[in-house]
Amino acid sequence: MNKPLCALALLACHACAVHAQDARQIMTEVQNRTQSKSEHYEGSLEVINASQKISKKRWAYDRLGVYGNSKSELRFIAPPDVKGVALLVINHPDRASDQWMWIPAEERDRRIALQDRSSRFFGTDFSFEDLEERDIDQYDFKLLGDDKLDDATCWKIESRPKESKTSQYTSSLLWVRKDRYFLVRTDNFIKDRLVRQIAYRDVESIDGIWTALDVAVVDLTRNSRTVLSLEKVKYNLPMKSGDFTRENFRQ
Amino acid sequence: MSKLLVAFVWAAGFTAHAQGFSQRGFMEMSGNIYTQTVPNDSAYGTGEALFGYELKWQPKPWLILNASLEARIDTHHQDSRSLQVDWEDRSLQRPALSIRQLSAVLKRDNLTMTLGKQFIRWGETDFLNPTDRFAPKDLLTIVDQEVLPVTAVRLTYTHGNNALNFVWQPLFTPGRIPLVNQRWTFVPEAFSQFDVQNIGSKFPGRSSFGVRWSRTSAGYEWSLSYYDGFNYLPSSIPSFDATLTRVSFSPFYPALRLYGGDLAIPLSQLTLKGEAAYYTSPTNQQDEYLLYVLQLERQIHDLRLIFGYAGEVVTAHAETLQFAGERGFARAVFGHALYTLDSNRTLTLDVFVRQNGGSALLRPGYSHSFGEHWRATVSFTWLSGDPNDFLGRYYRNSFATAELRYSF
Repeated sequence: MNKPLCALALLACHACAVHAQDARQIMTEVQNRTQSKSEHYEGSLEVINASQKISKKRWAYDRLGVYGNSKSELRFIAPPDVKGVALLVINHPDRASDQWMWIPAEERDRRIALQDRSSRFFGTDFSFEDLEERDIDQYDFKLLGDDKLDDATCWKIESRPKESKTSQYTSSLLWVRKDRYFLVRTDNFIKDRLVRQIAYRDVESIDGIWTALDVAVVDLTRNSRTVLSLEKVKYNLPMKSGDFTRENFRQ
Repeated sequence: MSKLLVAFVWAAGFTAHAQGFSQRGFMEMSGNIYTQTVPNDSAYGTGEALFGYELKWQPKPWLILNASLEARIDTHHQDSRSLQVDWEDRSLQRPALSIRQLSAVLKRDNLTMTLGKQFIRWGETDFLNPTDRFAPKDLLTIVDQEVLPVTAVRLTYTHGNNALNFVWQPLFTPGRIPLVNQRWTFVPEAFSQFDVQNIGSKFPGRSSFGVRWSRTSAGYEWSLSYYDGFNYLPSSIPSFDATLTRVSFSPFYPALRLYGGDLAIPLSQLTLKGEAAYYTSPTNQQDEYLLYVLQLERQIHDLRLIFGYAGEVVTAHAETLQFAGERGFARAVFGHALYTLDSNRTLTLDVFVRQNGGSALLRPGYSHSFGEHWRATVSFTWLSGDPNDFLGRYYRNSFATAELRYSF
């Protein structure tokens, strides 16, 4: 290989490395800026199916711990037909989360197996995997460049789960607002097919943490969407680890 | 005890706006239409109305109070007409008014203690739970099994991925078996001219005890359990009167010592679940046997599939007549499919086939919710088989069911 070509190849490799490093740095900053010891909110859900029929649900959400090492519980509080149904998620830094679902009528919980994570969570357009909180170390990132979304300048980043990590998605495209280091949209792909879009809107600073009060999920395979509106959001409340166990979950 | 419940409801009502208070309830109307009559039951149709109300109140971070009450009435006298509030759940008929739960949960660090009337479920599998000994079943209609609560003290200690459960049940709760004058009691042809009478149950006096150690890991979860108490399904020794016109029996509940375990392994495409228990009889009043279930689960988008086998190995026989409410479902393959059409509608299918072809059950169902409160469910249970088979003997009991539930 002659010298100029060799130098060009080295330069190209260096540029790739800088981009790869930048993407991870951006995502690290995104994660750091939304980090809190605990979180509580009540969410109102509107599920709009392909024939435009709307069903409404409401859940209460509690989380203790930070990304990749957190525990969360999500419990339906309305409508009465599903009240009490709950999901317990134990996130791990190095692997997919453990999940159990509690159905009061059955008086028992059921483990959600890894192969079930792509299925919809209780009639919403969230999959079980979408309700996990994974650490960025479980993904490889690549900065694709700049993009504009709703008049805000964003970094467009591609993320792929690391080879050893299980995910329903082959890859995702992430849009991160430059001014706030805040994730505003995710397009999730299975192979090359776009299957689910998640948009984080109505962003407010609560207790110094940028928070999307409106999360819209579109399931493109079934042409339905779910809009989650967050209320009563609070961070860093005192919570106990013992409140996020399977035993407590059944009470 | 009913005064205690009323006091709790009253206190909870006053604190309805307090943090940690929640309530829910439902009203349900259901009807069954049978395709045939049977010799001891000439009714084609039955109907029932059910009301349930549940309260949960957490006045302190370390204290939760639970209460629930059920009221029911039916056309077929499977439900008692007495308005006395029932705590013990020992009656032959379902009580008209019963306390389903009245318990206090006390928490401190890794310890949780639950005192009072409560539901305790052990085991991993769905169709049959050999280790689930603190969950007596209401088997009045055999194929629609309800779980009954028990009066117990439950202590749970969790440490990392391990949980240790101790249960002490001072007051025995029997399972409920079919009423002798109704279609789910099978009277063999040879006994059809006799007047069959249940002259009252003999309940055990001492308490029951159980312990379960469970562990959860990344690739599996398992538990080991031990139970020392009584079988909640009765045995009996029938006796004939002098004129040979009447057969009487008095159900009793044999002592039972049980060693069990369960396991769940999520594999790449399927989840494998297994549960087994070895039933021993310290007083030799019932058979000794191993009851086990192996089950595979798979979720394919909105379709959930369960397929499995329930087996039994008998190691010792006893000379008593034993009600086979659970074992009667062993030695069979079973399947369950649940298809979620959308957020309001589901289709289900249950299948049961005895390995020797002695009986079969097929139950398709459809459920539809309307708005925020209403849900309608319809199903048809088709039963077929041989009169010598536990389930097959109900071959004339195929029925259609319609339910309408209002939740609030």
